[in-house]
Amino acid sequence: MEILRQIQYQPARAVGGYTDRLLKVDLSKKEIAIQKLAPDFKDKYIGGRGYALKLIWDGTSRQTRYDSPENILVMASGPLGNEPAFPGTGKFIVGTISPLTDTFIDSNVGGHFGPLLKLAGFDALAVSGISQEEVVIMVDGDQKTITIAAAPVYDRETDEGALAFGQRLLKDIGGGQYSDCLAAVSAGKGAVNTRFGVTHSLYFDRRRQRIRSKQAGRGGTGTVMRAKGLRNIVVRSSLSKVDGNNAVDKKGVREAGRRLKEVISKADPKQLHLSAWGTPVLSEYMDKFHIFPINNYQYGQSPHSAKLFAHVFLDRYFTPRIPDGCYYGCNLACAKGAEDVELTRGPQAGRRVGIDGPEYETVGAVVCMGIFDPHFVMEYNWYCDEYGLDTISTGVTIGFFMECFQRGYLNVDDTGYELNFGDIEAADRLLHETASGKGFGKIIGQGSARGKQWVAERYAARNNVSKDAVIAELNKFAMEVKGLEFSMYITKESLAQQGGYGFALKGPQHDEAWLIFIDQVYQELPTLEDKAEALKWFPLIRTWFNATGLCKLHWIDVRNPEAANTSEPAKNLPTLAHYTHYLNATTGSNKNLQDMLDDSERLYILQKLINLRQGKGRRDSDQPPLRAMAPAFFNEYQFRAEYYDQWLRKNLSDGKLPSSPEGRHKLLVEKRIEAYQQLCDIVYEKKGFTPEGIPRRETVEKFGLMDEQAEGLFQEMGL
Amino acid sequence: MIVLIEFLGIQRTVTKTDSLDMPISAETRVNDAMEYVRGRYPQLHLEESMVLITVNQEVASPDRVLKANDTISFLPFISGG
Repeated sequence: MEILRQIQYQPARAVGGYTDRLLKVDLSKKEIAIQKLAPDFKDKYIGGRGYALKLIWDGTSRQTRYDSPENILVMASGPLGNEPAFPGTGKFIVGTISPLTDTFIDSNVGGHFGPLLKLAGFDALAVSGISQEEVVIMVDGDQKTITIAAAPVYDRETDEGALAFGQRLLKDIGGGQYSDCLAAVSAGKGAVNTRFGVTHSLYFDRRRQRIRSKQAGRGGTGTVMRAKGLRNIVVRSSLSKVDGNNAVDKKGVREAGRRLKEVISKADPKQLHLSAWGTPVLSEYMDKFHIFPINNYQYGQSPHSAKLFAHVFLDRYFTPRIPDGCYYGCNLACAKGAEDVELTRGPQAGRRVGIDGPEYETVGAVVCMGIFDPHFVMEYNWYCDEYGLDTISTGVTIGFFMECFQRGYLNVDDTGYELNFGDIEAADRLLHETASGKGFGKIIGQGSARGKQWVAERYAARNNVSKDAVIAELNKFAMEVKGLEFSMYITKESLAQQGGYGFALKGPQHDEAWLIFIDQVYQELPTLEDKAEALKWFPLIRTWFNATGLCKLHWIDVRNPEAANTSEPAKNLPTLAHYTHYLNATTGSNKNLQDMLDDSERLYILQKLINLRQGKGRRDSDQPPLRAMAPAFFNEYQFRAEYYDQWLRKNLSDGKLPSSPEGRHKLLVEKRIEAYQQLCDIVYEKKGFTPEGIPRRETVEKFGLMDEQAEGLFQEMGL
Repeated sequence: MIVLIEFLGIQRTVTKTDSLDMPISAETRVNDAMEYVRGRYPQLHLEESMVLITVNQEVASPDRVLKANDTISFLPFISGG
């Protein structure tokens, strides 16, 4: 590789979870700088998402778009990332201004990159600028060098693949061998041609003897990477991963880890059993409770769904009995994978590949297109990974266009071919066209929000109707908020989760709140007040996980049996106590759960400020499409008419239903819209916001965030 | 009178069946259904603190009295990852 710029440095060792060093790379100027962070930086912004938020808030402006040179791509673990004695510590955050939402997006991802970056001396890496030639960045803690080099050119197939290129590069840098001292982030050609390219986190799995990938999947972080001319970032450190955080109280860390691992070992096999089945286990439960997003979230259940239940993947594809943790020390080990799967479609048909997944979300994305074929799920998974596409946004966007076709908003002249739900050949063709930016795939690659505009313009012109009227109809079923596509859960029957998606600052991804079961099934949130309380508490604790470098699944998806003896079992407080101990033992702090929530709330408010600045922070940006709240069309109502009529009876003061089914559907829709608006009012109040969804001045001041920029924003808003 | 006990996810792989009929009397409770399953499938390790019990898809307490044709499920706790 041709070295374009290289510096020597002395890697700082972590103390109490932090190296207090930020690595800054400007690709326009080919400059590399190491910034020592002031002591109060970590106190205020914690790590991970918090570091990304602060860097984006300070370093970008309202005019910044995903491909602006000043946009920053931040990768940051957190003080608790990198500790094999505690489960789930391989996570890091990729944060930036999103091509889909034009505001802050972050996505958390597992693997070894975050831990190795810290061992190489950095709490975070911030890449700005745009390189005119394609480059790779190498952070080498062993050689004590940081390098910007021209990206190597191999052959076309390798160069276009996010996996293939990353694997080849890791092997070359490792001297012809893979090593767990090396990890990389990578983006493929799909990231060049769409707004929803992922950032892969590539790491060597000793058990499978191959490079595996996890994805920072949401919001187009890979698209930003490629817009910067950045192909890959590689990090190397041979330092021991044991006590990588150099914890203040090492014994305390081991004790907290031992206790949590004990809970996981005891409870997971008797609950979801993620360690054996991975997240596809969810498909069956989602289908049972009408939450599976079939045909663009129209129907939540299908007689065909069983073809995609977890046992199918376990029996036919997953390699059994391999502990598939994405970082050392994880005994939940949910990162399932398959080996030697033959591709039967697409440009690489006939090739046998290893596949990392599928996760539940990928299965959901496929049923969103009306497809119930497990082998297509595997192929869709692999091709999306190789192209570097978000399986969720790809599937939801295709699903939206399929429904446009179903409802007559599009025809063959628009798409070039029939585009019906359940048509595997059409979906497959569209997947490859999307990754290549060719044919109708070029439109898909813009995502649902921009796709909606494209459909409306064409349909309005063709039928001589107003574009606004068409948009109003498309808004009923384009499954996006703030420009981001929904993750794979139907929310029609859970008002709390409508809020969980609608208020989510990055858009409708469930890592802020997933309240469907505790609301819809467990009935633990019966009142608006209960729902609002949950919509404040869960996003804050989940933010804490994203700031500290931790996986949430050990807390949220394995219920500690002791939680049954608490007043709010869904919060799983006995398990959270292990996290508090781990935090204090690592950093030397003396925090309690409320302190952790307060730390998170500062980050939450900062993210809200960025949204306000970028035009995505007010009440109108929190409104989900009608389908997220109610059966948007009569066919959906008919699918569960008995259930909906019963719901109406319960929620009408006189219990009297309109006589016609059409009348009942109309009334149901009105009631659901009304309920969501009531929820907005009470949630904003609970969060310290105005009825317009804007944080009150005292809320911002309370967290020390009223800096010059925030003051200007408030003056501009007349507040 | 009978009720239906359904098995989901990992439970089905252990029991090798989707469901089980259980005869009930007028005083049979959810707890009795759990005991019944434990007796038939000890390898399921069914524990009250590890599952959420539903009857006809509504959360039910262990002392709820069962009615003919009720469907009982033992759900894992699902919180969305």
